[in-house]
Amino acid sequence: MRRLIGLALCLGLALPVAAPLAAAEANIPILVPITGFLSLEGTSQRNGALLALRNAPAGVAVVHEVSDTGVAPEVAVNALERALSRGKVTAVVASMLGTQMLAMLPVALEQKVPLVTVSGTAAITERGNPYVFRFFPGDAVVKAAHVRYATEELRARRLAVIYQTTAYGQSGRQHIAENARRLGLEIVFEEGLETQVRDMSPVLGKARAANPQALLLHLHAPSTALVVRQAAAMGFGAPIVAGSAMHQPPTAALLEPAELKGVCAETNASPVSGGNLALERFLEQYRREFNSEPDGFALGQYDGTMMVLEAVARGARGPAEVTRALQSGSHRGLAMTYKSDGRGNMAHSAQIVCYDGRTRIPRVVKRYDDIAPPSN
Amino acid sequence: MLQVIVNGVALGAAYALLALGFVLILNATSAVNFAQGDLVMAGGLLAVALSTTWPVPGIVLLPLVLLVMALLGLGLSLVAYFPLKSRPPVAVFISTIAVGIMLQNTANALFGAEPRAGPPLLGGGVVEIGPVVLGRQALSIIVVAGLLIAAQYAVFQHTRLGRRLRATAQDREMAEALGIRVNRVIAGTFAFAAAYAGAAGLLLSNIFFVTPSDGSNYILKAYIAVVIGGWGSIGGALLGALLIALFEVVFPSLPLILPFLGGVPGAAWLFSQTMATILLYLALLAVLVARPQGLLGETVQRRA
Repeated sequence: MRRLIGLALCLGLALPVAAPLAAAEANIPILVPITGFLSLEGTSQRNGALLALRNAPAGVAVVHEVSDTGVAPEVAVNALERALSRGKVTAVVASMLGTQMLAMLPVALEQKVPLVTVSGTAAITERGNPYVFRFFPGDAVVKAAHVRYATEELRARRLAVIYQTTAYGQSGRQHIAENARRLGLEIVFEEGLETQVRDMSPVLGKARAANPQALLLHLHAPSTALVVRQAAAMGFGAPIVAGSAMHQPPTAALLEPAELKGVCAETNASPVSGGNLALERFLEQYRREFNSEPDGFALGQYDGTMMVLEAVARGARGPAEVTRALQSGSHRGLAMTYKSDGRGNMAHSAQIVCYDGRTRIPRVVKRYDDIAPPSN
Repeated sequence: MLQVIVNGVALGAAYALLALGFVLILNATSAVNFAQGDLVMAGGLLAVALSTTWPVPGIVLLPLVLLVMALLGLGLSLVAYFPLKSRPPVAVFISTIAVGIMLQNTANALFGAEPRAGPPLLGGGVVEIGPVVLGRQALSIIVVAGLLIAAQYAVFQHTRLGRRLRATAQDREMAEALGIRVNRVIAGTFAFAAAYAGAAGLLLSNIFFVTPSDGSNYILKAYIAVVIGGWGSIGGALLGALLIALFEVVFPSLPLILPFLGGVPGAAWLFSQTMATILLYLALLAVLVARPQGLLGETVQRRA
């Protein structure tokens, strides 16, 4: 009898703990650009988030919907408001397009809901908004690695820079210029390209005429591939260090291995390059689920979404508690360990990968950890 | 210098195929086909799909692309034009936008969002003529597009079908009164326009890649070409397409072609791609104000 009473007491104490665990629900809408010029990166972002939701920790029931935000800021804002109107949202996987993120920030602030993104646009974490969390190293981090690699490893002192005229491109250009100035490097040529520009021979011709020692690219995927292909065809001469778009397997797939020879790129991680068992498992599952190759954006979004899910699994209920968990906690992800710098920048490491001209799988040649962004 | 001009002419030749189809439908129906850019995208992705199954040069796939795209053009006319032909032209304008969006989303679902490279027409590499190095693909595009435009000219000028097409374009009611089956001719025009848009897609897909969202950029180019060249004028559309492409490629290269321009204050900004785009649209505005009928256009057509 005493044993039965003891068991009943134990169950009575245990039930209030176990019941909320079993009922923990994470409502995570995925609002990403699946069409438009950022569709390649947006699809990776979506896939990374979906994979994390499928691998949600035990005891977390996931509710999600996927909405295409295209490339217009108002479409992203409408999608966010629609998702928020449908019930209590735990966190939002938010577009990696900088202009869309900037438009969504006021809504997130008003509704007090965390946005988890892999947008590289620096400005999104410079507005003092406590509800934005970036799981891809921002431009302050990756552009520091970008420029440092060019000068420390390639010994380049004269740089040519070709960037996109989008918010992403202009943000990257600004950080490249700041890092170059800090390191005493000369930018001998720079030009912005719209995403619709197809023939790169004029800009490459002018860049070559400026006699740079390295060409730095900060372009979206199609423009990156066009520049690399046309640079190879014209025998550009100077080594190319591209932005993160180049490390994406679909970008490399557009080019012949020979065209890629000597081309390097900055990124947070290159899942196809392998590295450890957990990463190999991610790679295998991603290929199985989506019949495509993952990139650093997918991995960053996977890690970010998983940090939200683990916070829920540990007892965070609702957006306020999840926000606090993201602000104060740290998460050992597949790409790196994430921790907020107080402004929502969670990722502070970057890698440089390079192609050897024989395969389309890049090799990690340099890793930069704990890059501190310059103080504002 | 020569390489820059060859690149510009190659781009212009592909734009010309696109603008040609655009203006043929405009003449035959008095309606703007806003799906024309998405038909270029569809042709490019079709070439990608075919080359995956049969890894042969693009020139071998071209007849098949023309045929499949012609069928798609027929389908477009049945869905977006004939049910609305008695409505104001704006109804067709909207319906073709709708079809374009459907094509874009279908392509996205079938192929995914990432850019893809189509097959080269004959093969990659370069042709060296003395000190001049020219891209083989660019040269192939010029030759193939030139042949297709010449074929169009021959059909329109020297065949009964061409005379019917021209008669329908000039005066639909009169053509109908003379016993021409106007609906068939219009359906044929859609097929022809789609086939040429598909050819442009194949030509562009190797060097400039293709993504499901490319259509909006191409339709803008066709629209500007037709406005600059002359609303309703086939020759004007071809001229407009060539001028746009040459401007896009040659203007930013001017400091290379004329080195003294590099010393002009603000040359880097003045001869940038961004400035080229601004000047292109300024030229469009200037044409609209000073010569609304375009460079070779007729004055009687109505603009959508």
